[in-house]
Amino acid sequence: MGKKIPLPMMILAILGFCYMLLPIVIVVLAGLTAGEFLTFPPKGLSFRWVIAFLQSEKYLSSFFFSFKLALMTMVISTILGTAVALFLSRAQFVGRGAMRAFFLSPVVLPGVVIGFALYAFFISTGMGISRTIWGLSIGHILYSTPYVIGTVGAALASYNVSLEEAARSLGASPLRAFRKVTLPNIAQGIQAGSIFAFIVSFGQFEVSLFLSAPNSEPLPIAMYNSLRYKFDPSAAAAGIFAITLVIASVLLTNRLVNIRRLLEKQ
Amino acid sequence: MKKDNKNVTRRSVLKTGLALSAAAAVPSIFNINHAWAQDVTYDGKVFDAGGATLNIGEWGGGWEEFVRSALTNQFEKDFNCKINWDSSFPWFPKFVTKGAKDPVYDIANWNLPNLTQTKNAGDFFLNTDEVRANVPNTANCWEFAFASGAGVTWAYQPYVYAYRTDRGKAVNNFRDFWAARFANKRGTYGTENGLMHAFFMATAREFGKDQYDMNAAFKALEDAMPMKVSEFTFNMLSLLERGEVDIAVHIEGEALSLKQKGVPVDVWQWDSHPILTQTKTISRYAKPMQKKLAFALLNRTLEPSFLNAFGDKFLWRPTNSKATITASLAKEGVMNTASATEAFWVPDWNFFVKNKLEITDRLNAIFGL
Repeated sequence: MGKKIPLPMMILAILGFCYMLLPIVIVVLAGLTAGEFLTFPPKGLSFRWVIAFLQSEKYLSSFFFSFKLALMTMVISTILGTAVALFLSRAQFVGRGAMRAFFLSPVVLPGVVIGFALYAFFISTGMGISRTIWGLSIGHILYSTPYVIGTVGAALASYNVSLEEAARSLGASPLRAFRKVTLPNIAQGIQAGSIFAFIVSFGQFEVSLFLSAPNSEPLPIAMYNSLRYKFDPSAAAAGIFAITLVIASVLLTNRLVNIRRLLEKQ
Repeated sequence: MKKDNKNVTRRSVLKTGLALSAAAAVPSIFNINHAWAQDVTYDGKVFDAGGATLNIGEWGGGWEEFVRSALTNQFEKDFNCKINWDSSFPWFPKFVTKGAKDPVYDIANWNLPNLTQTKNAGDFFLNTDEVRANVPNTANCWEFAFASGAGVTWAYQPYVYAYRTDRGKAVNNFRDFWAARFANKRGTYGTENGLMHAFFMATAREFGKDQYDMNAAFKALEDAMPMKVSEFTFNMLSLLERGEVDIAVHIEGEALSLKQKGVPVDVWQWDSHPILTQTKTISRYAKPMQKKLAFALLNRTLEPSFLNAFGDKFLWRPTNSKATITASLAKEGVMNTASATEAFWVPDWNFFVKNKLEITDRLNAIFGL
């Protein structure tokens, strides 16, 4: 039986959501302005800046580069983050709390600090990956993985380990028990974490500032540069596509989850 | 226990000496870059770089799109090289972290305050004499193009006030910015913006004993509050267009571009005549081929054909005396003559950089940031 939410709380929640979503509406409308500058309210509505975005080699290459980078970050962060969350939830040792804090620390530290620290580290160690796509990927993975650890850790906290133990006692191998019992139970957390990792990577600016490779500019950096030297609404038009991509990825993932649930029910 | 009974012979001494000499030479092989780098010369002709990569630090966005199409794409073809374009500003921490001997960029484009900060932090760049000796087109540049001491300024714009012409009489004095009619309608920039740096130095010069009178500048800027503080010049144009700001610190070309769109604005050039500059530096310890390419790219940047196209697009003035002022600037009376350039003032950026922390802190406090 669902609990009834008090009306004042409901109104407050709706207002809160509207307040948070307002910048998105502003970006969309600013990107559809017919005017010369990135302003709000827009001066008439037009697709001219959307077309300008689609015709801009710089923006498009940055968009697809960010997409590929976020995809790669998502895959690696999900694997690493899930492994770390499993380790932290199951291993019993002194200093577990400190280790958890250590793994989550990239989220607490300012992105600029992480970006610069990695940049200096790559140079001082002579690894040869400063200002390369690999160095940039490491920065993004480092920054995104804690989100996966957090969400998978939350899923594991509410997961009853005795289910896996029961599977083991019935003869399942550790891998089979994990795959058939644990994984389906924490799948929601993993998916939420992977979406977070994708979104965080796609919109990452501060870490990329020091680590981005020449000729391979992530979209947020390209948008920032565009605003520095040309305050036209094509940056907002790029924002429309970025927002659309993020929303689409969330909806798509939800859709996939629902389909799988349907299959499981059948 | 066996004892080694080898005798010390003349031959063995020679062998050992040779081996030691070879070992001692190893570090110098790694450090030879400097010696080679100093020997590179360039005569202005096209050469085959054999597919070498030139690392450049240069602005991004619409600027990059234009410069690629008007300059570097053809440069890559002509010189058989590849340009690694990095537009993730700031350059200063990247140069300092990597160190002078392993430069992050072979050639970089700067505004003067940041360039001065980096120049003062180490032996990063060739001096202007070294550059002039290897970049033929510098022979046609006005003398102020070499004022940085570490690079060549290739384009510039005077700092101006951009003001709305429908809000009273024309601006014709630096102190008009403080006029009561502009209360709450003044626009300036955040403390990391080069325009704010120049405005601060010009304000010190106007209200104090000289450009070094920081307290006079702080007091004057406090008096000008509240001001709208923007991060970007193009954002300021939109504030002017909407009438949220009636007078703003700006640069000539961009402000005039707004006027040409029919917005009721005009510009007034400060009587102290400071200029915003685009200055390219060449890294002292760049590898030989990269250094030669950097000379060539700087030479191409200073070609009148590129400077004319760049001026047409962004309304910047060229420092090459052989280049022409774009028509829309010429219409406003701008000329590219010796007399038109002799009044320019380059603030003492060494002083600014030395006091930057204090200036930034005080300005942030004044702006309430």
